[in-house]
Amino acid sequence: MSDLEDIAREMGAGEAWEEANGSPWLRPEGLDVRRMAQVMLAHDARFVTITARAESEDEPAAMRLSYHWDLEGRLLTIETRIAEGGMASIRETCPAADWIEREIHDCFAVEFQGARPEPLLLRPGQSPGVFRGEDE
Amino acid sequence: MTHRISIGPYHPALEEPYKLELTCDGEVVREAELRIGFNFRAVERLAERRNFTAAIALMERVCGICSNVHTLSFCQGLERLAELEVPPRARHIRVVIAELERLHSHVLWAGIAGKLIGFKTMFMACFEIREKVMDVLEAISGNRVNYAMNRVGGVNRDIDDPAPIQKAVADLEREVAREIVPVFTRSRTTRARCQGVGVLPLEEARALAVVGPTARASGVGQDIRRAAPYAAYEELEFTVPVETAGDVLARLRVRALEILESCRIVRQALETLPPGDWRGPTDEVEFPEGTALSRVEGPRGEVFYSVTADGENDTPRRVHVRTPTYANMPAVKVMLRGAQLADAPLIQASVDPCYSCTDR
Repeated sequence: MSDLEDIAREMGAGEAWEEANGSPWLRPEGLDVRRMAQVMLAHDARFVTITARAESEDEPAAMRLSYHWDLEGRLLTIETRIAEGGMASIRETCPAADWIEREIHDCFAVEFQGARPEPLLLRPGQSPGVFRGEDE
Repeated sequence: MTHRISIGPYHPALEEPYKLELTCDGEVVREAELRIGFNFRAVERLAERRNFTAAIALMERVCGICSNVHTLSFCQGLERLAELEVPPRARHIRVVIAELERLHSHVLWAGIAGKLIGFKTMFMACFEIREKVMDVLEAISGNRVNYAMNRVGGVNRDIDDPAPIQKAVADLEREVAREIVPVFTRSRTTRARCQGVGVLPLEEARALAVVGPTARASGVGQDIRRAAPYAAYEELEFTVPVETAGDVLARLRVRALEILESCRIVRQALETLPPGDWRGPTDEVEFPEGTALSRVEGPRGEVFYSVTADGENDTPRRVHVRTPTYANMPAVKVMLRGAQLADAPLIQASVDPCYSCTDR
């Protein structure tokens, strides 16, 4: 079984894992997500998905991304704030992230650097960010 | 000569709307592209506009085949947030419904596979058996599609007399063992049609992070019921069928064997049904601020839910759903590469795709 502290150290996260509602979370700021993906895959973790959510109701523009991985049946989450200008894409390192990055762009207009912004759920020409702002 | 063929989004070869764009050299598929989103209903966004109870009913409608796994995953997430223990009897009833759902889903898929391999009698036989599974689900829940069984902390209906359910499941087990399983595990015709077709090698299955029977047919042995047990699975004995060939035949075999395992699990869950409460808390449940994650092994593989509450409002602040087809479908591009064009409908169907789930 891989040691969680080793994983955090290898991805350059100084913070400690915390247990929240039954699963371990790591919340480093300014995380290099490409390195994170490389480290997780090197430990034979399986990519599960990414959850995007607004930082708070008061700050709907500030977004956080939670990267979920399965490590030998254990669900690990690494959450980080989206830097200004977007987030690095992990698609090249982790092809399984292709659809969810495109979906997050469709729904929240998050830009993923280094990846072609191709719609997944929206039709070509529709504006991304359909989950942002108030309903009409 | 290279040519492109578009199938869908609305096409008789597809059970639901999506689009396959194939680049072919004569009869051989060189590249495949998938387009989804034709069923996009913004269910996650709608969940933020419902109170927690109404959101359960909404999540049940993410999928018309595996409706129960969605309420189960969602309720498990809410139970983790509220730190609720589910009564043992309710945990067993959840297993019964989940396995009956797997049974009817796999039998439905077996019928479709039968039709696609040119064995239409098998389609009729499977759908007849599936009706009987749905009769059992109706006898327990009062419903045939959206069972409305899960509630936060328990279930909405008890199984007060397991005997007729046990008898119906024993009859089903005999019928599937006699009529369905041998066709997909031993028939020379099925082997000739499906062996070596639509191969997903182990390395690509791992790289694409596929789940469920699609992964297990390529040698990835994980099943969430075993790897991260929930409900009452830890107390029950079952085998996780794994094949290594990665072709359509392997996917057929894994599901066929899982049908028998589901019967075995239902039988055990009913035999060991504990006495006591099944409803869980009857007072209003409060959800503190935070995010909880939940996973369930649905018929097509791992279903993942992330549920966030703000601790103030009676609506979820965020619900994110990752369905198994969402994880599996990109692998169809690999399965189709180098395949015969005529095999494309069977290959795409062999992951048992559900686009209602995928698009949400």
